[in-house]
Amino acid sequence: MPVVIACFKWVVDEAYIRRGAGGALDFSSVDYKIGEYDRNAIEEAVRLRDAGGGGSVIGVTVGAPESAKGVKDALSRGMDRAIFVSDASFRDLEPSQTAAILAEVIRTHIPQYDLVACGEGSSDLYAQQVGPRLAELLGIPCVCFVQKLSLEGGRLRAERRVEDGVEVVEAPLPALVTVLPDINTPRIPGVKDTLMAGKKPVTTVKREELTGTFGGVLKTAAMTASSLERTGEKLAADAAGIARFVDSLRKSGVIR
Amino acid sequence: MAGIWIIAETREQAFELLGAGRSLAPGMGAALTAVVAAGSASPEECIARGADEVLLLAELSPGEPYGAHLPVLEQEARAASPGVILFSAAARGKELAARLAARLGAGLCSACTALSFDKGSGSVLMERIAYGGAAIQKLTSSAAPVVVTVPPRSFAPAEAADGRQGRTRELPAPPPSAVKIVDRKPREKAAKDIAEARVIVCAGRGFDKKEDLALARELADALGGELGATRPLTEELHWLPEDLCIGLSGVQVKPELYVGLGVSGQVQHMTGVRGARVVCAVNKDENAPIFALSDFGIVGNLYEVVPKIIEAMRK
Ligand SMILES: Cc1cc2nc3c(=O)[nH]c(=O)nc-3n(C[C@H](O)[C@H](O)[C@H](O)COP(=O)(O)OP(=O)(O)OC[C@H]3O[C@@H](n4cnc5c(N)ncnc54)[C@H](O)[C@@H]3O)c2cc1C
Ligand SMILES: Nc1ncnc2c1ncn2[C@@H]1O[C@H](COP(=O)(O)O)[C@@H](O)[C@H]1O
Repeated sequence: MPVVIACFKWVVDEAYIRRGAGGALDFSSVDYKIGEYDRNAIEEAVRLRDAGGGGSVIGVTVGAPESAKGVKDALSRGMDRAIFVSDASFRDLEPSQTAAILAEVIRTHIPQYDLVACGEGSSDLYAQQVGPRLAELLGIPCVCFVQKLSLEGGRLRAERRVEDGVEVVEAPLPALVTVLPDINTPRIPGVKDTLMAGKKPVTTVKREELTGTFGGVLKTAAMTASSLERTGEKLAADAAGIARFVDSLRKSGVIR
Repeated sequence: MAGIWIIAETREQAFELLGAGRSLAPGMGAALTAVVAAGSASPEECIARGADEVLLLAELSPGEPYGAHLPVLEQEARAASPGVILFSAAARGKELAARLAARLGAGLCSACTALSFDKGSGSVLMERIAYGGAAIQKLTSSAAPVVVTVPPRSFAPAEAADGRQGRTRELPAPPPSAVKIVDRKPREKAAKDIAEARVIVCAGRGFDKKEDLALARELADALGGELGATRPLTEELHWLPEDLCIGLSGVQVKPELYVGLGVSGQVQHMTGVRGARVVCAVNKDENAPIFALSDFGIVGNLYEVVPKIIEAMRK
């Protein structure tokens, strides 16, 4: 009956970020979402709970107060309860700060757990740091880039993907894993799931309740929009379009 | 000034990281230390390529993961207090870098694409991609050490020179690790390196099944190019080897021509194609984001359009 912690982040949907004047990032029409790969972490936590015949899944997120929407979204994905570490200053944290906050909250609020599941990387920063950093701060074994996972007899068995193949590893619990997108197919919550999510317990932890200083180490000097736009000529799938396409290829000098 | 460390798992990584380290060393006035895995680059090779000191990681038993070196690295780093620690952003390196940074209380710039030292302010300047590729993040660090991971093949490997001198020291064997490797499965490697390809035909989810990729291959052959893929095809469907994945979590490519077939054009993919000279696409959805990120493209069903393109090219 495993107790699994799933760490997730409520992020800007990058598809709606525009390039503003002077190359500034324009967030004016953005939407928010649960990090793509964090959905796999939540799904895996839920799957392990169900495979273990009970237990519970506790979602933990650190963010600004408006991330409350994300907590509800996450709860509709099968978790039992959530801990929301919320402060206006938690908007643009460095991975080192996020990991330190998560470590303190897990230590003080979740006395006993078997596994911490993180995504392979957050959708906005994709630093791939918070997971392994958190494992060190909690002093537990860490297995990153997991594509297959099972828990048995106080140990985990994981297939972890590296450049030259797959390493099948074992480690004692509690441990931390970061999961790859193919480990499972995250569920798409239905209306009933969303309704149920509203009834699940959420513990909100405020900045004042934490003792750490959580200072940053790096400084973000600038965050500017990249320009990927091109001319974007659209052609029809008819004979004229095909001819123009091939002609453009020829003109580009890549084919003769 | 505190030294520069490179920590490498393979010979290729060692040479590239030495190249990156050497670009920083003169400005920082720092010595270069290469920490290398047993059986990767030899101390002589590292010294010829700029290392002033080589620290040899102990050989691991078959069941010990690369991460087992962490306590030894932590101890050595505390003793030597390097200013910068460079890793390759490969799976094992990324994990070890983050764990070492946590233990040292250090900042870590992941997947750093530009790295320099500013003498005036005494800080390390770094750049990386954020928001899936929609943004460039510029970071600075004036605290030591700063840990940096660099995506493979983003820096030119260091060249060897004759007559260089350096010291070599063997590091102690690490204590047993809690994580044990119980089995290894080698994987299929792509025959060609798409990072260097002149023409790339990239297959996306618009293909219905693996067998249909023959059509993409046929176009690639007609164009004298290589096949690439979006992440869902390599990492989720496993239709193609992972080294063919183009984008943020895959390879950065810079071909003369990129043709996306059934690729929607999400920023995480397109950021990998920013260095392409010509980008074109075939997609049946006229609102697919890839059209705005292409020079030209056909709105249509790839199963109908691609054979016609091949035919027209033969004329
Ligand atoms: C942190 C992070 C990192 C990522 N890294 C990468 C990365 O490195 N590389 C990468 O590729 N992705 C990456 N992704 C995933 C990325 O966001 C997209 O999900 C992915 O690129 C989409 O792949 P696709 O275009 O093949 O599939 P889809 O988005 O599903 O698009 C399929 C397209 O095919 C078209 N289509 C369907 N049928 C046909 C037909 N018969 N003829 C013509 N067109 C057709 C559809 O109109 C659609 O536009 C990452 C995601 C995250 C969150
Ligand atoms: N603010 C956050 N709150 C909770 N978990 C987070 C947060 N940021 C990152 N994580 C977790 O850490 C993983 C890696 O994040 P990153 O290091 O930013 O790529 C994510 O996939 C999440 O599982």
